[in-house]
Amino acid sequence: MRKPKPSQPIAEKLQPAESKLAPQLPTIAPKETTHTPYLQHQQNTVRAGLAVIAGRTAGALSRRFHLGGGTSIVGVVAQRVYPEIIKHLATELEHGSVMITGTNGKTTTSNFIAAILRDGGLRVWRNREGSNLMRGVASSLVIRAQPDGHLRRSGKAISILEVDEAALLQLVQVMQPRVIVITNLFRDQLDRYGEVNSIVAQWKQTITNLPTDTTLVLNADDPTIAQLAASFAGKVLYYGIDDLSLDLLTQQDASERHQAIDTRSCPICGHEYVYDAQFYSHMGHYHCPHCGYTRPQPDVRVTQAHVDSFDRLRIQVDALNQQHELTIPLPGLYNIYNALAAIAAALTLNMAWEPIVTGIEQSKPVFGRGERIQADGKTMRLLLAKNPTGFNEVLRTLFSEKIERDILLVLNDNIADGQDISWIWDVDFERIKGRTRTLVVAGTRALDLALRLKYAGINEKDMTIIPPAPLRAQKNSKSAGIRMKGRNKQKQKVIDAQSSQALQLSEAPSLQLYELKNALDSALAQTPPGETLFVVPTYTGLLEIHHELEQRGLTPHYWEGRDT
Amino acid sequence: MVLSGQKLSLTLGHLYPDQLNLYGDRGNILTLRRRCLQRDIDLRVIGLGVGDALAPDEYDMLFIGGGQDKEQEPVAQDLYEMKGIGLWAAIEDDMPVLAVCGGFQLLAHYYRPAEGPNMRGLGVFDAWTEHKGPQSSRCIGNIAIQWNGQTLVGFENHGGRTYLGTAAPLGKVLKGYGNNAEDHSEGAVYRNAYGTYLHGSLLPKNPHFADYLVELALRRKYRDSEPAGEPELFNGTIHSYEKQVDSPSKSDAGKVELSPLLTPLDDTLEWEAHASILERLGLYSEAATVLRTHKS
Repeated sequence: MRKPKPSQPIAEKLQPAESKLAPQLPTIAPKETTHTPYLQHQQNTVRAGLAVIAGRTAGALSRRFHLGGGTSIVGVVAQRVYPEIIKHLATELEHGSVMITGTNGKTTTSNFIAAILRDGGLRVWRNREGSNLMRGVASSLVIRAQPDGHLRRSGKAISILEVDEAALLQLVQVMQPRVIVITNLFRDQLDRYGEVNSIVAQWKQTITNLPTDTTLVLNADDPTIAQLAASFAGKVLYYGIDDLSLDLLTQQDASERHQAIDTRSCPICGHEYVYDAQFYSHMGHYHCPHCGYTRPQPDVRVTQAHVDSFDRLRIQVDALNQQHELTIPLPGLYNIYNALAAIAAALTLNMAWEPIVTGIEQSKPVFGRGERIQADGKTMRLLLAKNPTGFNEVLRTLFSEKIERDILLVLNDNIADGQDISWIWDVDFERIKGRTRTLVVAGTRALDLALRLKYAGINEKDMTIIPPAPLRAQKNSKSAGIRMKGRNKQKQKVIDAQSSQALQLSEAPSLQLYELKNALDSALAQTPPGETLFVVPTYTGLLEIHHELEQRGLTPHYWEGRDT
Repeated sequence: MVLSGQKLSLTLGHLYPDQLNLYGDRGNILTLRRRCLQRDIDLRVIGLGVGDALAPDEYDMLFIGGGQDKEQEPVAQDLYEMKGIGLWAAIEDDMPVLAVCGGFQLLAHYYRPAEGPNMRGLGVFDAWTEHKGPQSSRCIGNIAIQWNGQTLVGFENHGGRTYLGTAAPLGKVLKGYGNNAEDHSEGAVYRNAYGTYLHGSLLPKNPHFADYLVELALRRKYRDSEPAGEPELFNGTIHSYEKQVDSPSKSDAGKVELSPLLTPLDDTLEWEAHASILERLGLYSEAATVLRTHKS
């Protein structure tokens, strides 16, 4: 078995953990192996082999006949054939697995950790973005397994699993992770999960039953996350921000201070807690005057942060009492937390500092987190915003400089986005009033978003609204014509301002535009040459935009570009 | 006596803005604020948190939103102990009150959560709410109801089922779950207090309902001090009028059938958003009616 690398920066503090962790690899559930007779184990391997064959066949067929991506079906079928398939295959990973969960930052954090571990010489396996439920994890293992029921090249392998908040409990029951990272908890997709509190209750249950040789990496600045440590007997590593110049409470701009806050009552006693500093949403330095619950001192912390440019954040990190400097090549304060989470996880896995620096500094923006695409002499940046906190952070990032921006907003209410879009009323769109050069509003709930913008004081004439389809009632009604005039005027302005790309629009000048591809065209046409169009979609909006860009050959196929 | 040309003003009491703010409740406040502003009506919004008393004379309308069960608990106690008497007095004095989701539940007799003790409500609405346990499914989705001959649209997301005693419902469910997914009732009404599960937010896409509440508040505030009659148009200023309208004794009847006192605004976008929800729910003829009625 490969011994974990000796680590310089961790010093004494992690040494006992290292000796504790090492013999645990691979993470075979001891009961299974000691009490299962040899013959039965053989049978299980055969069953696993059958499950692998069935799953991969189903995946191939699904892809062949274009019945979808063919990713999750692999896991679904394999689990149907052999329900224990995850447990069976996961035990073969030489370096076990890391799970990342929380509302925001899962993907970026996983991305950082994967990059660090790769640079540290490990073979990293990941589940695909969005496939973060049980079946997605099953798929990620099955596609790397052989028909004999064993994993291919499992030596040096470690799996980095991005896990849906609600799936953690289930998943931990079938595979024991070496590290669990919990980033934060925001109000996200409440219609899917019920309420935030039920997630906390599930997490507590998960953590209470966790073997103590798992390490928990927790965000010290999120009161709900930090308190989870109380349910755990094993080792906990905290991360947090200690640069008080980022404190929103001291900033003069009133709009900075008005932020959606989900959690305000003390998770221990229920009384209202107070902030000594607040960085974004409910992240900050807090204490409860009633029961004395207070933010724990982080083990990995940022002592200074400086924004060099839109997507360059320079940070001073104090990791287990060692000082380091690091540049995060991504926009937004929230990426400081993602980097800290990754650093803490990497240190737990005994990574040295060099791969941490190279892993993070060379990270490319992932799916929708600031990706850059060039089209027609213009640049597009894709910035996913799937909940009020994420949206506010995106707006804060885009509008912190006094520059007029070109914006395309896409609001969808498909199941993966969350069907309840009332959260848009908690987003501070007021701050973008008068600060957009061009503004296009699209998506299945384009009208709702346009209404939100209207109530934020943005003139209807200053936005182009492009819903996916016309209202049926409007198609049949003459009254619609009046309305279209106003929009056509707007469109005419666009056409006048632009030339070649807009020509196809002018062919049918009397029509209101529909569908996302036209929204994209319109937004691009309105963006002056050499400038950047910022596309801010919800989750499925991002998928649609990606699909559209792929059709135009503007971006490499996303899934094929990763996991290699 | 209100003088001609005096600027109209209203004070909105927003109950528990920090605790009950889960379902875009800010949208309701923003809508009332903007629609008043556009008519040059001065709307002041005052937040009433835990521990604050409610003096009914200081407000012209009240709003209470929704939260999670955990947040609702301390609020329920405070509502009963600190604000109960004031709120009762306000409601009995016909103050318009809008209570959404959790706020609606707290204005009924009690809320029985999935776990833990009952939360006592104010009993303004003769109704009660029970959560049938963590295993029972939540009522989640877009919803449209029939109210006052018109439609209201929104999104509902509640675990508890509300059952009405003698309280009148706000409206009849056209598509969606409503109070309890059983009897097609949605919300509850007592005098000018309205309870509902509709959020999304409720008021932006239902401008007629927003205006209705503003109008109730204006009538209540200015009727009492205007024995000579009623203003023609609440358009920020009270115009002088030549003819005497309703005598004060008859003005109570005005509550039932309000004439359009507020100057109309361009609500094209509002009604399109409203109609699009109706169409999503398959209510095509209702959507057509809405667009026909409100075409600009």
